[in-house]
Amino acid sequence: MQVALNEDQRAIRDALDALARPFEEAPVHEAPLVAASPDFARALAESGFLDVACDPDLGTATAGVVVERLARLPFAVEAATRAFFAPLLGDVSGPVCLVEGTRTPRLVRFLEPGACVIVVEAQGVSYFTAGEHQLRRESESLFAYPMASLLDVSEGRAVLAITPGEARTRARAALAAEVAGLMAAALASVCAHLSERTQFGRKLATFQALRHRLAEAQVRTNGVYWMAMKAAATLDPADAALAAWHAQESATATVYDFHQFLGAMGMTLEHPLHFWTYRLKALIGELGGRGASAAAAADAMWG
Amino acid sequence: MRATFKLAAAISSARCYRAGKGRVSPLRMDFDWTPDEQAFRERLRHFLDTTLPGDWERFSQHGPASPDLTRFAQTFCGTLAKEDLLIPHWPVEIGGQGQDPWHQTILAEEMWIAGEPRGGQYMNVNWIGPTLIRYGTPEQQARYLPPIAAGKALWCQGFSEPGSGSDLASLRTRAEADGGDYVVNGQKIWTSYAGLADTCFLLCRTSEDRKRGITILLVPMDTPGITVRQIPSIIGEGDIHEVFFDDMRVPASARLGEEGQAWEIIAYSLRNERLGIPRYALARSALDRAVSILQERGDFVREAVRIEAAGAAALCEAARLASYAIVTRRAEGETIGQESSSARYATVMCERRVCEFIVEHLPEALADAHPYLKMHHQRGIVAGIAAGAAEIQLNIIASDVLGLPREAR
Repeated sequence: MQVALNEDQRAIRDALDALARPFEEAPVHEAPLVAASPDFARALAESGFLDVACDPDLGTATAGVVVERLARLPFAVEAATRAFFAPLLGDVSGPVCLVEGTRTPRLVRFLEPGACVIVVEAQGVSYFTAGEHQLRRESESLFAYPMASLLDVSEGRAVLAITPGEARTRARAALAAEVAGLMAAALASVCAHLSERTQFGRKLATFQALRHRLAEAQVRTNGVYWMAMKAAATLDPADAALAAWHAQESATATVYDFHQFLGAMGMTLEHPLHFWTYRLKALIGELGGRGASAAAAADAMWG
Repeated sequence: MRATFKLAAAISSARCYRAGKGRVSPLRMDFDWTPDEQAFRERLRHFLDTTLPGDWERFSQHGPASPDLTRFAQTFCGTLAKEDLLIPHWPVEIGGQGQDPWHQTILAEEMWIAGEPRGGQYMNVNWIGPTLIRYGTPEQQARYLPPIAAGKALWCQGFSEPGSGSDLASLRTRAEADGGDYVVNGQKIWTSYAGLADTCFLLCRTSEDRKRGITILLVPMDTPGITVRQIPSIIGEGDIHEVFFDDMRVPASARLGEEGQAWEIIAYSLRNERLGIPRYALARSALDRAVSILQERGDFVREAVRIEAAGAAALCEAARLASYAIVTRRAEGETIGQESSSARYATVMCERRVCEFIVEHLPEALADAHPYLKMHHQRGIVAGIAAGAAEIQLNIIASDVLGLPREAR
């Protein structure tokens, strides 16, 4: 048993830190609700970090480390699905999206022309490249991801050599790793604000009513982190479903508090909090939401 | 593999670093037990299966401090000692096997899942013994360690007082130096195992300095001037007591460490026992038992029930992994700081959720229908109180893990 990053993973995380350093702050005030950085996306693509799972020595365990670290950035960059499905997809240049079933229209993160869309159905897993005519950009979306509605699923899709259950397991592990990073970044951002802001003659962070809720958020973030890492390492259906449930449940439990503690500041675009919380809100409903994650966990554990 | 130079360089650098250190580290995080760890767990399970009596589950629900269980533990721990399973994590020169923290964790998990047949003796082997090894005089070690290592000793901890619970440093039980003795007056309360314990790990005030004015005395419980009264409780027979000290006199040789050193010694003890009891293990075991009962009677089909059970299981897993992350660092020889409070609080969350699930879906367990589940409930509901209140853990996390400015006092 070793519940810790190994040296390879620490080195990769350190290298990611160096890559991400110029991109730790996103523009606020007049910026759009979604923070995007083509420069960072390009640097990330060139780095090869999204392909770590292709190395059998690193595997999806290390993909989890990469996804968690990247989610801490204010910029939304498609990493999770790509990193966890890279060994199966071969060369893919655009973002990778995942949908369950062929129902349309539906809101999809990172969907754009040229995106690879993985379709998970009961009878199998397939993928296609999205065309301009198959989507509608949702520029008014409150979510801090680039969002578009998928209007049509291509017929004659390529088959992906993976079972629907295995695909859902990878997707759940990826989701949990992303939530872990988002929660960590949002919590750090809120702690920094409350440690600076004074009301009633005291720093807000000295009020126990706030401290205890922040501390509980830390406990949840830590739990989601290790459950995500385990799910990424084992790709076990129960591990992944439990991690996804804890991630979605914890996001639900903390996002309200994060905004509450920032008061009106967190409702404005003067502060970057929404870059993390409104990605968390999108992930709460992903893959069927908490109910579907819990049901999948129960099926995997108890039949 | 399309990794470019940067990624390849990062990995290469990491592997060179590891080679330079001469350390063998798995290329993956490892969430599996090693063959040696698994064999140790299986040995323990076999031992428990063949040693515990057939009516153990009904018997154990009387609580780890009940007279019956305390007597049973004397025999059981004696057998554990003969099998080298009582203190495997103690140093070899003290009679242990010098095993790593993972073996200690596995031992604690299996015993707690089984309903803790060691009774109150788990405290001896987890932190009282190691504290005596570190701070005790040769005479104190010669007197107290052999009975612990043989499974024959029962200790109680004289910490909480009527006016000093979470605020332990405010304790008022006073020890006055008198010639070569200390004379102790005061009262302890909510003291587990005091009714049958033979020795008390007693905290006393020897000066007015809040934390540096507290001293530890090792007190035989048959010393004149000690009165023990049991306080009836919902967590098991014989578990909670109040202890009165009226002009109780012990020699200065009963002092552990120096006068005023108690706070430092307790900090060391807690580092040994920082994670506390592996409650997540029993909670998960109780949850699985509850699900099994519900399945047998056809009640585990409603989606709402299944979802609640899965949520409880997730919290058990979160607590388990948070604890294991700390054990990993201990096994690497790192000093553990206050971050273990996060694992402690995660355990409180899972205990609450499992207790709530059973109360809601198997209420008859709290009557007498399922002794194992009743036993879990009685142990589980104190998770947020025993060994430091949950709110104290949250205070510690806020200050020392999140780095928030301390609250005004």
